[in-house]
Amino acid sequence: MAQAPLALMATLLEAEGLTKTFGALRAVAGVDLAVEAGSLHSVIGPNGAGKTTLFNLITGELPPTAGRITLDGHDITGRAPHAMPGLGIARSFQRNNLFPNLTVAQNVWTAAFARARHGLRLWRSAVGFADVAAAVAEALGEVGLASHGGRKAREMSHGDQRLLEVAIALASRPRLLLLDEPTSGLSPEETRRMMGLIRTLRGRYTILLIEHKMDLVMTVSDRITVMHFGSVLAEGPPTAIQGNADVRRAYLGTATALPTGP
Amino acid sequence: MGFRVLLPLLAACLLFPLLLRNTIATEIWIFAILALAFNLLLGYTGLLSFGQATFSGIACYVAGLLLKHYGLSLPVVMVAGVLAGALSAGVVGAFCIQRVGLYFIMLTFAFNQMAYFIAYQWTDLTGGEDGLPGVPRPPGLEGGLAFYAFTAGCFLITVAFMKRITDSPFGLVLQAIRENEGRAAAVGYDVKRYKWLAFTIAGAVSGLGGVLYAMLFGIVPLAAVHWLRSGDIVFMTLIGGSGSLYGPIIGAAVYTVLAESVSRYWDRWPILLGLAFVVVVLFFRGGCVEAWERIATAGWRRRRSP
Repeated sequence: MAQAPLALMATLLEAEGLTKTFGALRAVAGVDLAVEAGSLHSVIGPNGAGKTTLFNLITGELPPTAGRITLDGHDITGRAPHAMPGLGIARSFQRNNLFPNLTVAQNVWTAAFARARHGLRLWRSAVGFADVAAAVAEALGEVGLASHGGRKAREMSHGDQRLLEVAIALASRPRLLLLDEPTSGLSPEETRRMMGLIRTLRGRYTILLIEHKMDLVMTVSDRITVMHFGSVLAEGPPTAIQGNADVRRAYLGTATALPTGP
Repeated sequence: MGFRVLLPLLAACLLFPLLLRNTIATEIWIFAILALAFNLLLGYTGLLSFGQATFSGIACYVAGLLLKHYGLSLPVVMVAGVLAGALSAGVVGAFCIQRVGLYFIMLTFAFNQMAYFIAYQWTDLTGGEDGLPGVPRPPGLEGGLAFYAFTAGCFLITVAFMKRITDSPFGLVLQAIRENEGRAAAVGYDVKRYKWLAFTIAGAVSGLGGVLYAMLFGIVPLAAVHWLRSGDIVFMTLIGGSGSLYGPIIGAAVYTVLAESVSRYWDRWPILLGLAFVVVVLFFRGGCVEAWERIATAGWRRRRSP
């Protein structure tokens, strides 16, 4: 733990004045965000608060109207989405965004092969890369889908597809993992499984998490950023957010307490 | 490459000259090469190019001109034709892959029309509507059977090449792009670069088909670069089945044999093709390959449960 305080204090991702407008709508309006290396940082807020747009700005899916994003001090603003895994950023999507007719293993393979930087290989068989196969097995094992590798992604249950979403992101071995509502649409049983997975990832990855399930957010997060109408309403550790009157009003319209974790 | 795959094709290559007229048998493998090239785009990358005749047509003219006016040797003509296909596809593809869906299709079609009208107008070079006659075959290939054997050999090499490419990481990434372009980019692939390369490789292989076509009848007809040829290739691939490496080969054979045999008795035969197309699109999206698989599994089930 000797070097831990310094390492924990290092900011991995920083956004300054990040803004995205669609016509008259300011979907993200001057957001400042600092994600510390090794932490689990959650972004919460009512629907339409701009959380997913924020993710899309970070991963280059959308060009920001204004503002700056740095990773480890390097400016990555406006870099193309396909450059992100190489920079160390990987994401899962709010709605399943898979390769439906490829097998589960092939879905993960795409990310693992890109990460391995083998480049453009036209002549060798795709199954002949031992390092990639190992990375696929590791990512599938991590999310508990090791025995499903041969099935087509579209034949999986919604819950397993959500886990596959995360496995693809993990196969990029990212320095920063962005999880966009991993529990969306899951049954209570599946939600527990996903929450268990996120708990095991915590500490091993730097995670930026969008989530609506408050019991999960309040128990796993190191810090929480609350967004409302595109702006940051509050930021702090879970205890501070729970006690914040502005946050309660944004969520419930009244100053009732937020639900707490178990 | 597995012998399980190569053996039936080798058998077909040996059998066809016994069953069919030599030129028809030769034409089947030429069209099969063109359909294989096209299916790298449609079946593997999800790109419906409606302009493959641009590249096979340009290669056809290049080969025809080199053979007719310069009498160059076979390897030189082949390399020139394949390069012409690759280069033209590289240039056209660089524009087309900037757009997706319908716009991509229309761009490939527009470039095909441009190539067609250049060939149509530039009569000094191409012979315009009359085509470019008097293309000699290189020494050794004058005989019908010799040329057939050569074409069949080129076809088998193309199959092996395509199998290798589609089994490679490149081929799997193309399939990922077909399935979900956005996610393929998100996991780290420069989607446009991959599409462009697939387009260029398809152009090179189409170029090979074009060279062979120039030598088949001793003439480069204007039809070689007409959009109807592009349509034929799309059609062959769809009736054969775009979901596998072999569907387009079956489609090319079925199409060529039908066109030859039915057109002799009924010159409105494209109506039948239209009908076949409707049946395929409505009931057998996977073409002949899927139809066969379904019949096979149905038969298997019946035998299992009397």
